Amino acid sequence: MSKPKDNLKSNGAVISAKTGTKESIINFLKKAMDKGVFDAVLVPMRVPAGDSFVYVLIKDKSLLKDVFPLPPVMSVQGAKAVSSVTRLGKGNMKIAAVMRPCETRATVELTKLGQTDLENITLISMDCPGVLPISDFLDDPNKGMKLFDDAAKKWDDKLMRPVCQICDKSSMVAGDIHIGTLGAKKDTFFIISNSQKGNDVLEKLAITLKENIDGWRAKVKNISEEKQKKRKKAHKDLKSEIGGLDNLLDTFSQCINCHNCMKVCPICYCRLCYFDSDKVKHPSEDYLQRAESKGSIRFLPDTLLFQTGRMMHMSYSCVSCGACEDACPVSIPVAQIFSMIADETQGLFDYVSGRDVEEPLPLIAYKEEELHEMEDAND
Amino acid sequence: MSKDEEFMPKILAFLCNWCSYAGADLAGTSRLKYPPSILPIRVMCSSRVDPLFIIKAYLGGADGVLVAGCHPGDCHYEKGNYYTRRRFVMLKEVVKGLGLEPERIRLSWISASEGNKYVEVTTEFTEKIKKLGKNSAKNKIFL
Repeated sequence: MSKPKDNLKSNGAVISAKTGTKESIINFLKKAMDKGVFDAVLVPMRVPAGDSFVYVLIKDKSLLKDVFPLPPVMSVQGAKAVSSVTRLGKGNMKIAAVMRPCETRATVELTKLGQTDLENITLISMDCPGVLPISDFLDDPNKGMKLFDDAAKKWDDKLMRPVCQICDKSSMVAGDIHIGTLGAKKDTFFIISNSQKGNDVLEKLAITLKENIDGWRAKVKNISEEKQKKRKKAHKDLKSEIGGLDNLLDTFSQCINCHNCMKVCPICYCRLCYFDSDKVKHPSEDYLQRAESKGSIRFLPDTLLFQTGRMMHMSYSCVSCGACEDACPVSIPVAQIFSMIADETQGLFDYVSGRDVEEPLPLIAYKEEELHEMEDAND
Repeated sequence: MSKDEEFMPKILAFLCNWCSYAGADLAGTSRLKYPPSILPIRVMCSSRVDPLFIIKAYLGGADGVLVAGCHPGDCHYEKGNYYTRRRFVMLKEVVKGLGLEPERIRLSWISASEGNKYVEVTTEFTEKIKKLGKNSAKNKIFL
């Protein structure tokens, strides 16, 4: 398996953020729009009711003052927003998309799946402290804002979603430009370029990448190693809890077949999912036959098939963003289960979803000599 | 256990049109003996088998699922079976990850001239499934 190149530049820029990180990021975006580097910015904004955040495509730069580059909840997965904008072609405007690392990674995966065109998009990611569960935030949005701000300052994840608590890729740079807040001196942050496009943008903004970013690297390494340990343990515990047919049935028996998890999943791009199609609608004789062979069958049927089927179809691209778990009305730990399975299936091919847009999806690549232990295995 | 009660598994076999199905056919025309546990389904290529089919068969109560195709390098469509192999290994990992029974699924390469191998594979697999016993998914009404 080809090892991806470590194309992170060794140096970055240190940006002064005396007015706060959020304001400085907004200033950065404003300056870029002033200079015509970007014609529009795709970035989260709080809705007027205050209880949710959505992506907005901003053309009028005076509106930038109201944006939230790092909202406390992930109501919409950013990759879905990028895909909506560019699925039918790149368009002629240069757009900056400001997102969390899991969102840029999902965007990279969608690009491999032909669902975005990134030619005119600059992906800007930033260190992510996690997000609150949507349901917690909805209970009291104003309290949620405060809790998130405090937690983000202290980089404390205990109120964040379970899948964020075990995220070891919260600073992974998959886009063009990354904003690093970890390990930065007071009132500053790092700007790191990850591609030629990123370099060009920063050059036009007269931002030179000459400063040492070892402080950021060290801190990120530290956090991700710690999280990796937590992740392994959480997955191990989860496996003993849900493993085996009986436990799996217990876990998924509450499923109400709403398919929300699939609808919010950034990777599930199919316009007609197999599980929404006529392929899963059978004549009554079929159900009667199944009822006859078992004594009875549940309705709606095949909930476990839906979940396992989805694992087969998208786990190799899953970025563990947690959108599915947020969307589950009956609180099945879908994202945790998927993150466990995704780590295993991606590990098989030494693949990390969203790591590199040049890395082929594992199921459309092959080597002639590999995996012989699978052939005729009778274990 | 009396002869009537002896457990004869139901094994679904996805056989590729160009090699494995012809191999099974050869076993038949050569009057070779193999277990009656196999329910063959002919597919144009082993890579036509979505892992979903396999998991559906398993959850539907199939005691075993066999996927058979041309040997690597011999695919009628040149590279279909390489994709099959990758999908299969991923499927097995998911099944293992969920604590289900990866032993109940098998991938084999059987060429059109390998009637003997078809007999070997189906006999061996059937014996193994017999040892494993019935698929417990068969009786789960909330599945």
